[in-house]
Amino acid sequence: MAEITYRQALHDCLREELLRDESVFLLGEEIGVFEGSYKITAGLLKEFGPKRVVDTPIVENGFVGMATGAAMLGLRPIVEIMTINFIVLAMDQIVNHAAKIYAMFGGQCPIPLVIRTPGGGGQQLAATHSQNLEVWFAHVPGLKVVAPSTPADAKGLLRTSVLDNNPVLFLENLALYNVKGVEPSSDYMVPIGQAKVIKEGTDLTVISYSRMAAVALDVARRMEQENNLSVEVVDLRSLRPLDHETVINSVKKTNRAIVFEEDWRSFGVGAEIAAFVQEEAFDDLDAPIKRVASLEVPLPYSKPLELATLTGAKQLIESINELAPRRRRR
Amino acid sequence: MSEVTMPRLSDTMQEGTIAHWLKKPGDEIKKGDILAEIETDKATMDLEAYEAGNLQQILVQEGETVPIGQPVAVIGSGAGVQQKEQPATSPAAVKIGAEEAPTAAVPAESISAQQKSPVTAESGDGALIKASPLARRMAEEYSIDLRRVQGTGPGGRIVRDDIEDMLEQQQATPAPAAPEPAPSPPAVPPQKVPAPISIPPETEVTPLSRVQLLIARRLTESKQTIPHFYVSSEVDMTDALAMRQTFNANAGEDSVKITVNDLIVKACALALEKFPEVNGSFKDGQLVKYKHINVGIAVDVPSGLVVPVIRDTNIKGVRSIAREAKALIAKARENKLAPVDLEGGTFSVSNLGMMDVSNFIAVINPPQAAILAVASTRKQFVPVDGQPVIRDLMPMTLSADHRVIYGATVARFLQEVKSLLQNPYSLLG
Repeated sequence: MAEITYRQALHDCLREELLRDESVFLLGEEIGVFEGSYKITAGLLKEFGPKRVVDTPIVENGFVGMATGAAMLGLRPIVEIMTINFIVLAMDQIVNHAAKIYAMFGGQCPIPLVIRTPGGGGQQLAATHSQNLEVWFAHVPGLKVVAPSTPADAKGLLRTSVLDNNPVLFLENLALYNVKGVEPSSDYMVPIGQAKVIKEGTDLTVISYSRMAAVALDVARRMEQENNLSVEVVDLRSLRPLDHETVINSVKKTNRAIVFEEDWRSFGVGAEIAAFVQEEAFDDLDAPIKRVASLEVPLPYSKPLELATLTGAKQLIESINELAPRRRRR
Repeated sequence: MSEVTMPRLSDTMQEGTIAHWLKKPGDEIKKGDILAEIETDKATMDLEAYEAGNLQQILVQEGETVPIGQPVAVIGSGAGVQQKEQPATSPAAVKIGAEEAPTAAVPAESISAQQKSPVTAESGDGALIKASPLARRMAEEYSIDLRRVQGTGPGGRIVRDDIEDMLEQQQATPAPAAPEPAPSPPAVPPQKVPAPISIPPETEVTPLSRVQLLIARRLTESKQTIPHFYVSSEVDMTDALAMRQTFNANAGEDSVKITVNDLIVKACALALEKFPEVNGSFKDGQLVKYKHINVGIAVDVPSGLVVPVIRDTNIKGVRSIAREAKALIAKARENKLAPVDLEGGTFSVSNLGMMDVSNFIAVINPPQAAILAVASTRKQFVPVDGQPVIRDLMPMTLSADHRVIYGATVARFLQEVKSLLQNPYSLLG
């Protein structure tokens, strides 16, 4: 099967959507002439022209507001925020306007808006350029939040997001752009709000999303070979709406769970998952749910300190070994 | 291809019986279709398809009982039915904030009969035994005394591994000299095929349904372990009947009619407010008083008896109670009660008044502490100012748990019920 990078999958989907629907257009900083800080939009200005691929000034609140207005009037804007760190400047437009207009004005106009933005650290970009802020948006009713971990899911979820009539925060990750995976068919779509068991297992479940899901999959495969430990990996893919059923079914099968997330631990995705799992599957739990997340400090620039701060495969393996049951199930 | 397994439909469910298959092999299945009706220990519920496809095979026939988790059918992927969810593209299909399904809330006060398992809660010296929720559940399922299990989890917590070790040991050593008289909770016995006893001629043997077996077990437990005592009284229902008639005459054609039982239920609920100990339970040497007053009404159904619950009865109006009772009774008759309809009762009313009985006493519905049995209202002469006057008298008998309620309390409680029913407008306040 043909392989494709995460970056190429996003690029192809954007191009296909621009071709498919004239109301789709892109806007963001440096996405046209410069072809995007991460080259997702390479070649698109040349192909579709400046009306469909709009370079904006460095004013996130302004151009997200502009996109919201365009969406109200029937266009389907896809905004690129260079990294999620800069989205804080547009919080008012996203949280107070895009998320609420449909509900507050009697459903007169839906907001078919997609905001693409990469999160994640590990590139020595220091504290203000390495954050994982997706949970802020997952907290807000009226928004949808998706966070694919593979090229195929990136393509499938981006298409679904463009077709969705709600504002969708589409989370990418700097360290995923070069990751390769199976190229899906051109009409491939992934429903929003549907998690996926990306590796089956019986001894414990690791629940993750975005880049950490890819790390978890790798760790699970290795541990299966090396330690004969059967780890199931659930890739959430969407944070809001959150697929309880897939997670609960997995926990009912393995009885032990770890939530593995790149963001900070307090009030994070793991907190939410641990809460609903104990609500819905209390009698199936054989151990407290573990959260594996990054240390709660502003991320240092120094490489050794950055490595020590961010969570990763090492921390996950330690936690799996701590949580694994004595008796293997297979 | 995927297997459909017997789902866990209630906290206490351990196995289920396929009552009816609504689909047959070869049928196209959409996600959400009802495949079958399942009879559990509490109610009959729907088995829903979680995946689309083609029903390839039925593994468990109607009437058969299997434990939860056992496959009951196989759904194949079936060409062309691969569902691809079309995203909402029209405003009408936009669902904001409707993503998360609310989970069924169970009132914190509801104490299910199955939770009373002192052996799993404390060790001999009163210290709490540390065990994971799963380990506790397994211990209950296999009637294992947690005090005899060595915990190997963090801090000595008993985990699944330890229970599995124990089970393996038990299998390895066949029946060690009569296991100590297990003070285990009356776990739902796995439905065993009755041993072929010699059946005397000219008898007909009917196996009891799960619900009937459950009733049998719980009532036996109630009558054998709860020291029942009984106090009777008679209520003059003349004014209540008159009020009810006026009430219903003035109600529109299609509004719900109030029954005598609705008035009794309301009177009990108000009296329970005044006598909270009657609205309680005996539990582990303590009196547990419930904050909510949830009155159950005994309903006879073809398969036995069910007691659906009207929640917060004391703060509901008589007409609301009537409406709710009517709906619950209809559901009960159609065998459609959900576990939530049956949970959380704090007091029960059993009324045989419509069947011309002069008096009867009821068995307490555990973990409740009291039940009111109501007999038929009859016209009787009573002396009023030395003259015989015809009045409508209704006998009633309260059965109470003497561990937590005493005679005088019951007498006062009955007096209150009586006074409310004899001044029926006080029920409307």
